[in-house]
Amino acid sequence: MEMVTLLTATLHAAIISATPILYAALGEIFAERSGVLNLGVEGIMLVGAATGFYTAVNSQSLLLGILATVAVSLLFGLIFSFITITLRASQVVTGLVLTIFGTGLSAFLGKSMIGQASPVIFHKIPVPVLSKIPILGHVLFNHDMLVYVLYLLVPLSWFVIYRTREGLNLRAVGENPAAADALGINVFAVRYFYVCLGSMFAGLAGAYLSLAYAPSWLENMSAGRGWIAIVLVIFATWNPVRAALGALIFGGVDVLGFKFQARGIGISPYFMRMLPYLITIIVLIIITARSQMAKNLMPKALTIPYDREER
Amino acid sequence: MKTKRLFVVVAFLLIAITLFTAGCGSKQTSVPGNQNQGKDKLKVGFVFIGPVTDGGWNTSHNNGRLYLEKQLPYVETIFVQNVPAGSDSERVMRQLIQQGAKVIVATSFNYGDTVKKLAKEFPDIYFLHATGLEVAPNVSTYDIREYEGTYLTGMVAGKMTKTNIIGYVAANPIPCVVRAIDGFAMGVKAVNPNAKVKLLWTSTWYDPAKEKEAALSLADEKADVLAQYQDSPAVQQAAQERGIYSIGYHADMRHFAPQANLTSFTWNWGPIYVQEVKAYHDGNWKGKAIWASAKEGASTIAPLNDKLVPADVKKLIEETKDKLSKGELTVFKGPIKDNKGKTIVGEGQKISDAELVKCNWLLDNIEGKL
Amino acid sequence: MYILDKLNEGKCIRFEKRLSVPPVTYLIVPVVSVILVLLLGGLFLALLGYNPVEIYGILLNGAFGNTYNFTETIVHAIPLMLTGLGVSLAFKMGLWNIGAEGQLYFGAFMATGVALFFHDLPTPLMLTLVLTAGFLGGALWGFVPAALKVFIGVNETLTTLLLNYVAILWVDYFIFGPWKDPKGFLPYSKVFPQSAMLPVYPGTRIHAGLILAILAAIILWIIIWKTTWGYEIRLIGENTQVARTAGINIAKNMLLVMIISGGLAGLAGMGEVCGIIGRLQHNISPGYGYTAIIIAWLSRLNPLVILLVAIIFGGLNNGGYALQMVGLPESIVTMLQGAILLFVLGGDILTQYRIKIHRRGCGV
Repeated sequence: MEMVTLLTATLHAAIISATPILYAALGEIFAERSGVLNLGVEGIMLVGAATGFYTAVNSQSLLLGILATVAVSLLFGLIFSFITITLRASQVVTGLVLTIFGTGLSAFLGKSMIGQASPVIFHKIPVPVLSKIPILGHVLFNHDMLVYVLYLLVPLSWFVIYRTREGLNLRAVGENPAAADALGINVFAVRYFYVCLGSMFAGLAGAYLSLAYAPSWLENMSAGRGWIAIVLVIFATWNPVRAALGALIFGGVDVLGFKFQARGIGISPYFMRMLPYLITIIVLIIITARSQMAKNLMPKALTIPYDREER
Repeated sequence: MKTKRLFVVVAFLLIAITLFTAGCGSKQTSVPGNQNQGKDKLKVGFVFIGPVTDGGWNTSHNNGRLYLEKQLPYVETIFVQNVPAGSDSERVMRQLIQQGAKVIVATSFNYGDTVKKLAKEFPDIYFLHATGLEVAPNVSTYDIREYEGTYLTGMVAGKMTKTNIIGYVAANPIPCVVRAIDGFAMGVKAVNPNAKVKLLWTSTWYDPAKEKEAALSLADEKADVLAQYQDSPAVQQAAQERGIYSIGYHADMRHFAPQANLTSFTWNWGPIYVQEVKAYHDGNWKGKAIWASAKEGASTIAPLNDKLVPADVKKLIEETKDKLSKGELTVFKGPIKDNKGKTIVGEGQKISDAELVKCNWLLDNIEGKL
Repeated sequence: MYILDKLNEGKCIRFEKRLSVPPVTYLIVPVVSVILVLLLGGLFLALLGYNPVEIYGILLNGAFGNTYNFTETIVHAIPLMLTGLGVSLAFKMGLWNIGAEGQLYFGAFMATGVALFFHDLPTPLMLTLVLTAGFLGGALWGFVPAALKVFIGVNETLTTLLLNYVAILWVDYFIFGPWKDPKGFLPYSKVFPQSAMLPVYPGTRIHAGLILAILAAIILWIIIWKTTWGYEIRLIGENTQVARTAGINIAKNMLLVMIISGGLAGLAGMGEVCGIIGRLQHNISPGYGYTAIIIAWLSRLNPLVILLVAIIFGGLNNGGYALQMVGLPESIVTMLQGAILLFVLGGDILTQYRIKIHRRGCGV
């Protein structure tokens, strides 16, 4: 019985800690699937967290907070798209710069909100019948709204990417933009759309932190989760369902680390924190080694700007 | 190709030169409220390792800075935040001195090497080094006996726990953190010898989400009072979410979790700053180790939560607080054993300050490792 | 997909590749970008109630205004130069090494190991060892992703990024664990012996790392533009397929280039611990390795230009502190820096393309 309670508690906590990275990772999957590596996730997350919290505090409305987050992160997506897709600047460099900018902007916006508690936050809403199921009920159905939305987003993203015409176009653009263009797909429009979508998800990840997970605003509160999300995308080999599993593992590593510590099992926390990165490297090696697989998994045009005249 | 490269070089050179000349030219223009106005004011430069808005350590020192400005009208402060120790800290402190700062306040233990080096070079500048180890003729180290305050919060926790498991979320095992936790555990032991303190290290100074995870893990381990040595209020929020009690650190964290927070340990750096800057102003300053305590009101706790804390507990805390401030109570009084069974200090003896400075043991009622 | 159609319709701005780039463009574009951003930034500052001219003045004064500030700008620029040079060599060959940060940390780690455990060696021997260790540490951290790329084909952008975190946590483990300073139990290593400290230019903090950086820049320039090996590197960077047909050993080149690239970043880490701090600690780099990528890219991978651009970035950093000292919030400084870079990035395309605006849809 002891074991079961421990397991349910660990899984429940792992889901919560997986949520912000999974939101950002889903977004990044869409962007990378279209061939754009957005390293600005961390910056967008911070801006999303700050705007969401700021708006929620001042308007006393969660909905407005989320809408503001969406609007601002879409704007960031547009800036990133314009520079990397239209102006064809380096994606890696632009992403890094966007993170610098976002960190500064969020800190600036957040100045007045330090030490404030938001009057409105996302509360846990146990799902009426489902949450009564033994074990699983508590693990899965005793969370806040944003987690439930994520439950829907994961299969939906998978469906869109693998089972719809739009998904096919998206993958074509990420694999071979020239061929996609020849088929009449508007490469630029596809990339703009999915980068902005991805950016929106990154913003929501931030809002989850500031309005649900640790409801408050603190400078740099994402503490590197944007980068972990990028790592998670690789770990998940650009697949939303695997990303969900990966997020549970990444989130679970922290939780498990604490459970170990509490039981006096001594693994250096620094090595525990290294684990996700090491595992991801191993995953990368495995998927690449089975090259057949890699071909289908990794968007081949990733980081390469598309230029119609160089077809 | 050749000319192309040449032009790139020339372009950047030109930019650099324009910037340079513009920079030199601007030196004549005055900065409002800084160079002119502050001529006869005593300038004090503060250096912070993180943002002054972190709500924790840096904010507490910044509050001290604001208090200093308010108390001594002849003082003007300049502050620089987010200064990493090493390359940048030396430059920033030098520039503060260049700008006329006579007292430099280095608010992180990390600045030790920089302070040591600059103090030799500027014998007329007075350095105040928070939680520092080395005193020099013009360097005072200062700290607050946080263990007196955490002793009080520990007593509250020991009284309020029903499961006899108290959770503690802490950042990194460095002496001042360990000392605070030991003080807390002494307080718990004093009122409730059966209670255990379960300690979790997050190994990060700053990550609200992770701090909350640790707190929830402790709640899962049946802890019903959570305490913290972290900057963010995440642990308090976790406690409120689980319907258990919590104790804050650094500042009064009541408003983040009004239904959970019992009290918080709070720093009060302001009086130290006023005392030392005033001493410098009056010309009777010298380097020393300052260790402010409950006596000076430096190590205190935020008001108890009347809705949650029963009157008898409140009375006990008030009495103990009174004893501490009169100097009638010693927190670390023998016999003390650590949680590996080693005797730290025997019956009736006290731990010396020198040993407290490098505190690296955990009291025997703590479950956790260093 | 209504939205997609809409976007498609509105696509009226086209970029045409310039057939021959007038050299003067390279002068105009960065200048115009900088002027634009200064104007926009100025407007922003004015809206917040600051006097932009004065703010810019303070920024520049803090960066280059007097001898001391200038030397300090150089001090900050040294690790940026070395890491910038390192990544530029990899970029030249089309390898996106974004792992300079980790390579820097590992270089610092190895140099620290030598400084701590061979502490009674004579200075010349010690310095040689520290230097070698720093280079080798970074080289090792560059070699791993290169080997994975060469032998298995693993994408180097991703592995180098991942290894950054591993290196930083690795250093954290040592400073909080085995290498913790026994005096005070604080999370940093013991102070290095004097023999392990790089010589500095008297009266400043400019250490021998600057000489290393300048030498490295010159050597890299010669290698890339004057040697057959450099030609091979450039050819691989421009077209791997052609290079392969030409019989160039791509595997060997990749390994070598990443070893040098990582090694230079490792030297930067060594320079920080042995030239400035004098011990290993948490946070020895405020993201030099990432800034290096921006620097290398802005310099168009030209080693000599990298030295200059690194100095400008060093100035931006120091000018930022100067602004804080007059009471400007630090976040505004970070934001301004980000905005300047975004504009320079965006403007850069104009060196290779010119804009054509069509009134109606541009057709396919």
